[in-house]
Formats: sequence, structure tokens, C-alpha cells
Amino acid sequence: MLLINTPKEALQAPLQAVCGIVERRQTLPILANVLLERHDDQLVLLATDIEMQIRTTAPGAAAGEPVAVTVGARKLQDILRALPDGCELSLLLEDKRLNVRSGKSRFSLQTLPAADFPRMAAADGQAVSLRVGQGAFRHLLAQVQYAMAQQDIRYYLNGLMLLVEGTELRAVATDGHRLAFARTHLETPLARAEVIVPRKTVIELSRLLADADHPLDIVLGAGQARFAFGDIELVTKLIDGKFPDYERVIPQGHPKVLRLGRQALQQALARVAILTNEKFRGVRLVLDEGSLRVLSTNADQEEAQEELETAYHGDPLDIGFNVTYLLDVLNNLTVSEVECRFADANSSALFTVPDDPDFSYVVMPMRI
Amino acid sequence: MSAIHLLPDALISQIAAGEVVERPASIVKELMENSLDAAASEVSVQLAEGGVRLVRVSDNGCGIDREDLALALARHATSKIASLDDLERVGSFGFRGEALAAIASVARVTLASRRAGAPHAWRVDDRGAAPEPAALGSGSVVEVADLYFNTPARRKFLRTEATEYAHCEESFRRIALARPQVLFQLQHNGRTLHRWAPGSHEQRLADALGGEFAAHARHIDAQAGNLRLSGLAALPAYSRAGRDLQYCFVNGRFVRDRLLSHAIREAYRDVLHGSRHPAYVLFLEIDPAMVDVNVHPAKTEVRFRDARAVHQFVFHAVERALAVPQHAGSAPRPETPSQVGAAPTTPARSAMSPRQTALGVEQPVATYLEFVATAISRDADTGSAAQDIDASPPAAADNDVSPAPPLGHALAQLHGIYILAQNQAGLVLVDMHAGHERILYERLKAMPDGAPATQRLLIPAVFSASARELATALEHGETLARLGFEVGQAGPAELAVRSVPALLARAAVAELVRALLADLRDFPAARVIEARRNELLATMACHGAVRAHRPLSVPEMNALLREMETCERADQCNHGRPTSVQLSVAELDRMFLRGR
Ligand SMILES: Nc1ncnc2c1ncn2[C@@H]1O[C@H](COP(=O)(O)OP(=O)(O)OP(=O)(O)O)[C@@H](O)[C@H]1O
Ligand SMILES: [Mg+2]
Repeated sequence: MLLINTPKEALQAPLQAVCGIVERRQTLPILANVLLERHDDQLVLLATDIEMQIRTTAPGAAAGEPVAVTVGARKLQDILRALPDGCELSLLLEDKRLNVRSGKSRFSLQTLPAADFPRMAAADGQAVSLRVGQGAFRHLLAQVQYAMAQQDIRYYLNGLMLLVEGTELRAVATDGHRLAFARTHLETPLARAEVIVPRKTVIELSRLLADADHPLDIVLGAGQARFAFGDIELVTKLIDGKFPDYERVIPQGHPKVLRLGRQALQQALARVAILTNEKFRGVRLVLDEGSLRVLSTNADQEEAQEELETAYHGDPLDIGFNVTYLLDVLNNLTVSEVECRFADANSSALFTVPDDPDFSYVVMPMRI
Repeated sequence: MSAIHLLPDALISQIAAGEVVERPASIVKELMENSLDAAASEVSVQLAEGGVRLVRVSDNGCGIDREDLALALARHATSKIASLDDLERVGSFGFRGEALAAIASVARVTLASRRAGAPHAWRVDDRGAAPEPAALGSGSVVEVADLYFNTPARRKFLRTEATEYAHCEESFRRIALARPQVLFQLQHNGRTLHRWAPGSHEQRLADALGGEFAAHARHIDAQAGNLRLSGLAALPAYSRAGRDLQYCFVNGRFVRDRLLSHAIREAYRDVLHGSRHPAYVLFLEIDPAMVDVNVHPAKTEVRFRDARAVHQFVFHAVERALAVPQHAGSAPRPETPSQVGAAPTTPARSAMSPRQTALGVEQPVATYLEFVATAISRDADTGSAAQDIDASPPAAADNDVSPAPPLGHALAQLHGIYILAQNQAGLVLVDMHAGHERILYERLKAMPDGAPATQRLLIPAVFSASARELATALEHGETLARLGFEVGQAGPAELAVRSVPALLARAAVAELVRALLADLRDFPAARVIEARRNELLATMACHGAVRAHRPLSVPEMNALLREMETCERADQCNHGRPTSVQLSVAELDRMFLRGR
């Protein structure tokens, strides 16, 4: 039975889109598979890792009854990758095996029944739906996602908090040492919704979203969220937990304010970072009238120093940070200038973008 | 003059008191037990200044007749047993008739009581005057004030108010745990800290120990002959750094019995790391005639007539409860290089020889590098990879074809516990937790005492703390600061960690600080750092090190191996166990009967 006959590229792209989440290590063999379903004139492709599922379609399926099967995702991807570019290929379901044919190449793959494939049921209950541009949402994620925790026992930090309130969509991520906040604006006000999207989903979304103005439909429901864009639909479980109160963490009224060129600061930090103690990467920022010095020392007593000129008028300050946390924010911003605010050597520092209230980054100091 | 003479009565009592009344907590225990022996259904404990200034226990029990009031304070006066026969099957907490007398010899005691039906209550104190009328509903109130007012030497052994309070609370908790049908209330310096309403065993456990423990524990209910064991035993993952969550009751009496703790420890043997302690609350019920409770001044030890049978029974009951089928899903399946290699078809159909002939050294190394490269690109593919890990670059990146380093290049992680690595000689197996623990320990030892680099936390790690943990944290604030921790009280029963040593910035902070507090408890604050620095650092290393079942990427594993190679004494973990094992190709060949 013919499932599809198509140019290789028209199948390879959707296959790649869904198979990114298939885990290399499987406890359940069928989770290593991708579901292929002939439906009208489309071939539906669906993969899952139980926590999230991605569905997309390839055009040009053969006509006939709906039929579905699952097959090893990696192997199918590897075969497609190895076939010559621009070739035609067909997928045929014959006697419980999936046959891939192209030119003189023949592959016969074992299958598992589609009925055994775990699909995520649509969640019921209250949901908030919104539409934003793909590019805008991708930018929103990029501004904060690097601050997510990784494998923290406070499981609710291993993700990104999305909050809809009025006409605002906010994203917040923190690992307990620093926190990033970004916001974008919606056209119409919506009911309040607050969810925590798992880390892996966030990374996958960033990978799949286009950097363009095409629409993205988001549904935030109870325990589950849905992201639909282009031909792709991503459904993910949400992290059930209470995200820290980010508003309390963002400091108000830190008195020591200075503006710096983002790239100048980034490059100075990157150079000084070479001679930091490799275990905890501490740098000192020393602030005086008119200048900011960045200093480091490592375990072998080697030293580095950079000086940046700045129109700073205020009390001097000597404060330490993990340089990785500073580089993270500078690397992920695209603006030309950043504004830094400090209080004292024990208090957090706030990084913002001049004249843009929609981004904040808070980082705690380190005593070196 | 004769060398041997009889001791005055008061002195005899004081000597006995030394064994019974160790600290205010002992008074709390004795008085509460008396209330329960009097069949009270409500017991209220009021403390002032950690119980040193005042312990007052009131109950709604049967009360004491006017004629018996003075006797209650006399030595060897009890209403609970009358003969040796009674002693052999005693069901009450008390039976010696000496607790109140002992307490009265070291503190000021007042006793007021009213029998049901009596027109009013009567009061006596320890000065021997006749009872006077008093106002009281039915029941008894015993007040013990100014502990050790007459023995200043002993007063010196008392600790801070917070610590003494914590011990009192612990006594209170032990007694309340065994009697869920009784309402218990605890006040300190005028504030009500606990009020545990009568209810089920489950409810009382949750009230007294918090829901976290119950959520991580297995239910036990086993019976054999006249023995019954019930309660909760925590899963190994909820094990503790100290023995603070171990409660054993024999016929409702809290005991610290070697035989029982040994049986339980044995039941955990296969599933628990040597330095961890299981958490449990277990109630053993046994025919009173089969157990002797009269072996210890504070009655916290018992002797079983048939010790072997009890040991066997407890061991099996706990072991069975813990031996649940591991859900097969938890352990990741190890991946073998052949799975990743070019394209081996099923060997049966393959016409080629199943083993590639070696072409010299470069060949296998090159294959290996390819494997690493694939593994990394796949990691990147799935997006689950080490995104923000600044691990040293994998060998593939710098095209290093020189002989493999001593611990080799990581191949895979086995069951989330071991790293498999290939070196020149063959296969290396590394216990990743033990190896990492050693590295951290050496690094922590090199950290300057008093001014380690610390990372402040944006979101403080807040955890619920027992009164004992609170007291220890406050008493040892200085020690903790010198180790790099800033710990403060965040609520009536909560601690917040605001700074951690930069070396351990990613550790599970709450768990780590709890373990430190367990280490610090009962140590004089001033001396602890000098005497026990390394011990404390070992605890920190253990908690800072990667835990089993944490998936590591290949670059992360390689980084760990490289660090182990440069670390002193890296071949042994802090507990003296080896961190890595080498299997040579020759040994492997022998296993597979190759080359015969
Ligand atoms: N709260 C109370 N309610 C009723 N009777 C009490 C109460 N407290 C003490 N008594 C009476 O006072 C007596 C003496 O108490 P005490 O605690 O000194 O001895 P005990 O409980 O008999 O034995 P042990 O020394 O083993 O505790 C008891 O036997 C009991 O009759
Ligand atoms: Mg008694």
C-alpha cells in the first residue's frame, strides 16, 4: 500500500521537525518511533517523548483509506539523509513492514502498530488562547531562556514562566542566582494565565519557530499548552508548581546607574574571563567616577584588567560576579547600549535596556 | 569513724535524679507519661525558657485523691504496680514510683489535682506542708520550676534555650506519635507552637513529622504470632544524613533499642549508602510478658525474651516493604558503540567477518573520535544536550590522536551511576558520584578558611526546619559563615539559605544545609570548625557531587575524567571506596573465552 510518493526534501524537512524530540535512550521501544498517518492527501508525522508531542504534515500523500503505522525515527531519518539530494522516493506499507524505495535503493523497516503509540489527549478545563508573531515570540524566549535552571531539584525552575495579564505576555526564567524578564504586548486584553513551560519544550520551540512575522497560536490550558505555527503543532505538558514571585526580586531604585556599550562590555568581560578561577569564574567590577574597571585573578595569581570609560557620577563600588551570568545577558541581547544599576556589594545588580521597559535581568553578586 | 555510711534520703534522690532528669526534656517526658497513665485524653504542655524555668503539664486524667497527693511526690510510691507479677506484665509507662520524687529533688514541684466527683482540687508542693484547697477542673496540673536551682554544677551543662526547647519538643513529639487518639498541645514562652487534634495514625504522623516524610515512605503492617509491626519506613531516596528521623516504639513506648535498629538497618542494607541513615516510624506490639522494660533508668531500652524472633520478624517486615519492584523505566539503557557505528547489519546475515582487523593504533582511535563527534552532534540534535555547560572541549575538537589519557575517553553512562571509558589498556569504569565527591572535597579543603568565595542567592533556598535544626543553625551561624553559608530564620519553622560557597553553587542547597546541621548538632559552637572542618567539608562534597541518575553528556563525563586525573587521591572517594576500576582487554578477552 503506497503511503506517499514525494521528492526527498518534502519529507525530510517535516521529519526533522518532529524527530528532534525523540530521545536517544528509550525505555519504551515505541517512543523511538515516529508515527506516519496517511490522511486525505497528507502524510501526518507525529513524534513524542511523553512530555511533549510534535505533529506536522507532508503534502502529496497517496489517495485511499486512512492508514497509520510507526517506524524507527532515527533509521528513517538516516536513510533519507543518505539518499541523493533531489531524488524521488516512496513509502509503502506492505505486510507490516515499511518499505522505502528510491531509484535502485530498497529498505525494509520493521514497524510497530500505530494503536500502541502514546498520544497526548487534549486537556479539558479553562484555557487562554492568544496569537502572536512567531518572530516576536522567538525573540521573547531568546531574551530569557538562558536563565532557566537545569536539573535543579526545585523542578519548577527547570522551565520558563509564561504569564498572560491584560494585554501583556511576559516570560520569566531563573535558576535561583539570576533572573531574566521580558515582555511583549498583545492586541486585545485576555484573562490571566500563568504556566511553566519545561526547559526541553522551550529549547525545541526556539529551534522550530521561524524568525518571521507568521502567526503563532498559543493555547495555555490546565497542565498543558499548545503551540501551532506553520504546519507544526506542538503540545506539551506543563510543570506543575509555583514559580517564584519575580516582581519581588526585581530591585527598584538602585542608586548607582551607568550606561555602557553592550559589545564593549561583553568583549572586556570575555577577555578578563580568561584569567578567572575556572571553578567559579569570578570577576570584580570596580566602579569610580567616570570609569568601570573589570578585574580577575586565578588560582595561579595571574591577573587581568580592563577599563571602560563611562559617564558615571556617584559613590565608588567594588562588587564581584560570576562572569558567566554577565556574559549570558550580554550575549543574548541585540541592543547597542545597556544600563546597569547597583546598590552595594551584597545586593543584586539590574541590567536593562535604555528606554525599553520590556526587559530586565537581575543577577546576584558573588563574594570573591 | 566508719568509712561506709548510709546516704541521706535527699542525696539518694538527687543521685537517682541524675539518671532520670538529664535535662528539661526528661521532665516533659515523665510528666506526659504520668498524664497518659492517668488515662487523659487531653494533655497540654507549657514551657518557659526552654523548660528550665518552667515545665507545666496539665491533663484531664483521673486525678489523685487528697490522701495520696503527698505520696505521689515520695520515693517509691506508685499506684501502678503492686507486685513482681505486675512488673512482669506492666502496661503503663510508669512503674517505679520515683519520677516525681527525683524531679522534686532538683527543682521546685507543685502538684494540683482533682478526682472526678471530688468537690474541689487540692494542691501540694515539695516542701511537705499539708494539702491546701485549689481551683481546678477534673484532672491534674504538675508544675516544675527552676530546674537545678539547688545544684548549680548541673545547671552548667544545660545548653541554650533554643536547644533545650528543641529537646523538649522532641520528647513531646515522641509521646504524641504513639497516641494519636489524644489531643496534645505545646506552648513555649506563651506561644502555642503545636496543637495536634485527636485523629488517625496517619494524621498524627503528618502533624508531627510533616507530610514530606509520609509522601516518601512505605506503609508497613505485618503480623506474626503475637508480634505486630506497623508504621512507615521511608524510601532510600529520602534517607537522612543523621539519625534524627528514627522512631521506634515498643507497646507505645519510645525506645532506642540496638536490636531493633540493627534489624532495620539490615533491611536497608542493600538499598542505602553506608553514610546515610534511614528514616522510619515503627510501632512494635508484643505481649508485655515477652519484653522487659525495666532495664534503663529512663526506660528507653528494653530486653526481649526472644530477641532472635523479634529481630527476624522486624527485618523481614521492613525488607519486604522496601523491596518493591523497581519500575523498569527509571534506568536509561546503556548504549554500546556498535549501535552508533557506521552501519552494522545483523551479524547472521552479514558476509563480512564480524570483527574488523586492527590496522594499528590510529584506526580504533579514529573510530572512537567519530563516535564522540556523532554523540555530540546527536546531543545537539535533540536539544536536550548540555546547552549551558562550559565543559572542556571533547577530544574530537582538538583532533587529539595521542594516546588516550589515563582514565580514557567517556563512552557512555551506565545505569546513571557509572561512566564507561576507553583507555589504552581497555575499559575503565568510574563511579561518577564518588569521583566527583573526591574532587570537590580536595577543592573545598584548598578553600581559604573564613573567606571562601560565596554566591548570593536571588531566590533563597527556604526549607522547613525542626526546632532542633533552627536552634543549631542559630547557634552555629558563625561556623556556617566560615564555610560559606548564610543561613537565617525565615519563619517560625523555616530556615532560608541566602549564600552558598561558589564551589557548590549548583548543589541541592536545602539538603546540603540540613546535612551540615545534623553534623553540627550537639557540638559546642566555638570548637567545631577546628575539630571537624574536614568532616564538614566531606559532607559538603558529598552533597555537592553529582547524584546518581543524573544524566551526563559525553563532554561532561570527559571533563569529570580529566579533573579526576589531576586531583590528588582521586582513586579513592572520601569513604575509602575506589572511584574507578580498570578492566584490561586481556581480562575482557578472558571473560569471552577469546584467544583460547
Ligand atoms: N498526672 C497524673 N494524674 C494522676 N496521677 C498521677 C499523675 N502524675 C502522677 N500521678 C500519681 O503519682 C504517682 C507517682 O508518679 P511517678 O511518676 O513518680 O511514679 P510512677 O509513674 O508510678 O513511676 P515512674 O517512676 O516509673 O514514672 C503515680 O503512680 C500516680 O499514681
Ligand atoms: Mg511516672
